[in-house]
Amino acid sequence: MSGKEIWTAVRNSLRALRKGEFLLRIRADKLYLHILYLFVLAWLTIMVSLKVDKTLTREGQNKAALEQLKIHHAEKEADLVRIQSASATEKRLQEMGSELRRPVQPAKRTGKK
Amino acid sequence: MKKGAEIKDTVGNRDRIHVVMTFLSLAFLALSAAILIWIVRIQNGFHVKEKYMDLFTPAPVLHTEIPERGRILATDGRPLAISAPQYDIFMDCTVRKQEFRGIDERERSRLKKLASEGKPVPEAKKAGEAAERLWQKKADSLSWTLAALFPEKTAAQYYDEIIQGRFRKNKAGKEIGNGHLTIHKNVNLDVLNLLKKAPLFREGKYRGGIVVEPHEERIYPYDSLARRVIGYIKDTLRIGLEANFDYELHGTAGHEWRRMTDGDRQYIRELDSTLVKAKDGNDIRTTLNVDFQDIADKALRRQIADDDGIRAGIAIIMEVETGAIRAMVNLSRGKTPETTVWERENLALRQVGEQGSVMKTVTLLSLVEDGYVRSLEQTIPTNNGFVPNYRQDVHILDYQRETGRREISVKHGFEISSNYVFTYLAEKYYGEHPQAMFDHIYAYRLGEAFDFDIDGLATPVVNRPGTPGWSKTTLGTTAYGYGMSVTPLHVATFYNGIAGKGRMMKPYLVESVEKDGVVLKRYKPAVLNNICSRATADTVTRALAAVVNDGTAARLKAAKLPVAGKTGTAQVVLSPEERGGSQDPYHDMGGRKKNQGTFVGFFPADQPKYTILVTVYSYLSRESFYGGTKPALAVREIVDQIYAIDGTWDSRVAFIGHVPAMACTAESEAGRVPNLKGLGLKDALYLAEAAGMRCSYSGAGHVAAQSPEAGSKRKEGETLTLTLK
Repeated sequence: MSGKEIWTAVRNSLRALRKGEFLLRIRADKLYLHILYLFVLAWLTIMVSLKVDKTLTREGQNKAALEQLKIHHAEKEADLVRIQSASATEKRLQEMGSELRRPVQPAKRTGKK
Repeated sequence: MKKGAEIKDTVGNRDRIHVVMTFLSLAFLALSAAILIWIVRIQNGFHVKEKYMDLFTPAPVLHTEIPERGRILATDGRPLAISAPQYDIFMDCTVRKQEFRGIDERERSRLKKLASEGKPVPEAKKAGEAAERLWQKKADSLSWTLAALFPEKTAAQYYDEIIQGRFRKNKAGKEIGNGHLTIHKNVNLDVLNLLKKAPLFREGKYRGGIVVEPHEERIYPYDSLARRVIGYIKDTLRIGLEANFDYELHGTAGHEWRRMTDGDRQYIRELDSTLVKAKDGNDIRTTLNVDFQDIADKALRRQIADDDGIRAGIAIIMEVETGAIRAMVNLSRGKTPETTVWERENLALRQVGEQGSVMKTVTLLSLVEDGYVRSLEQTIPTNNGFVPNYRQDVHILDYQRETGRREISVKHGFEISSNYVFTYLAEKYYGEHPQAMFDHIYAYRLGEAFDFDIDGLATPVVNRPGTPGWSKTTLGTTAYGYGMSVTPLHVATFYNGIAGKGRMMKPYLVESVEKDGVVLKRYKPAVLNNICSRATADTVTRALAAVVNDGTAARLKAAKLPVAGKTGTAQVVLSPEERGGSQDPYHDMGGRKKNQGTFVGFFPADQPKYTILVTVYSYLSRESFYGGTKPALAVREIVDQIYAIDGTWDSRVAFIGHVPAMACTAESEAGRVPNLKGLGLKDALYLAEAAGMRCSYSGAGHVAAQSPEAGSKRKEGETLTLTLK
């Protein structure tokens, strides 16, 4: 193919584009289904990619929420442990005016040892 | 012919074309391969500038996932140390300041432009100033919240700091502001959430100026309880179990690459990159019993708090059968008595010193084991309490005066803790071959720092024959507890061996390494040595029980469990600074000394379950105190409370009450109302309906009353009202 022929082809293509006949000239109607298929594929790729992003974002947020709950749980556990020690309980009872103190005798248990 | 020749030529041409085309195809393939190689080579050497790369590709960032540090647990699983992030709160006081100023500047420029164009100039709106005033008003509201949450400063002080931080100038007079004003450090999640809802701060980092810096912090729920045993890691300071088991506790950091999403600009995991998940640390389950630790801590604190002259105290509770340390308390004051009592140093492991009379048990055990003392009633002459080369024992003179006797039994010498008796026995039986006694001391592991779960167990100092510290009186002084320096843990381990009938268990603090409740590694009890025969241990236990019943530890006689043990009082060797030029190692120039008093023993004496040691140390003082006083009182309190809560001595009852079986006592007579008292509702209904009566009831339980009364004449279809209780 000579340079002149190439130039002619390019010029004709540009003219066809201007007139809106390019796709008809290259007989794109024969490839309509393929183009549509390509378009759907591209659309699906973008959609799936966005969905993946969204899911991962949600995963990150959930992870952060879980982490917060974990921290909250650890802090509450420490608080509970702190107040349930015998000394802390005894002190609280005293503050509340109770006469209840630590046991001075071993427990009496039912049933056989 | 001509035609046939043409045909022949055509075939030849076609073959040639075929060959040429094949050759061209191969050449094209080779050329393609060469071009591909060339392209790859170009690409390898070609690097796009980073700034252009950044424009087109979102840069992934490396996120490091910090593992959660493992917990340290008590023997029953209660947490002694857990990890949770704490937050340091700062404030960027300069936030939006330039934005507000910019509003007014733009307004001024606009008005200036209008004036220059000769157009009418409206009054300036000063919207920036108004916004700034509103910001400061919110800062005032924030100050009130801060004062409520952190009352160490008033609302006015917080407000002043914020405003000063907003307009702070540097030395050159340029307004720079404070972008990092410290509001409070180490706040927990609850407080952080409250702060995030506070005025101004609720607008976030870029509008409200709140700056939150999280950091992993160790929480000790029991505060100072067993802190020296649990330990900590802070910069280069590595102490206790936290340090020794750091390799189990710390876990492994993970990392993942993250990228920003195109839509809502959130960082998400980059799926194409490698992901290494963080591995949380393992948990350590200790042998510590929180209740015992609490009891021992409180008892010791009480003894220390009552007396300003006491510098420190130690309590160790060890399980006889296993050697498991159930409590280890290390309380001390600072250099002066006004300082708080706190777990400052692990004296149980580090305080190597002469232990005094508690070491007489070492001599007695050796004498009995070697057969030199065959009976505790064996007697020796009193000799006015005098052994050549040694100081006279005045206790013997008292004994002679009180009893009029010139001989004393080994048992009584042990009860009154006579130095003379043990010097005499040591010199008599080991004077010719002192190494035999020191062989025993080494066999009792009193001459070495054995392996322990936390670092810092001091090495004892034993002046045996042949060492520079050996002299002609060393044997005798060692026999009554001087001349040999050991730690309280060594002493407790030795007594635990006697309680264990000669089987000396290795003390340990860690039971197992766990992950989510699953045991990964279990540390089993180990025997350090078999130190004596069962008979010897029994004999020495009798002597120890006599010390409590008739000797120096009489304060423990009324303890709720029988205790066997020994008191010990020793003077502490002073440091050269403390001595201040005095030649006496135990006294300073003013004649002051440091005392230590110890009680060590086990309970119940007949069937030992726990070994207990309590030692208290004094400041420099002219006063003395003894192992039979404060240490014994602390031991008494500890023993009594352990007796009540341990569970071993709980009493068992088969039944707590007798509930008689319910039965209908009267048969229903024809034409009479049946007796339903004592019956359950179901049975009562059955009988009432069988008698042709309707029923209504109230309450729950068994029938307590009925109307009409049992035995009265019944009418068909009459309603019987039951009251259940």
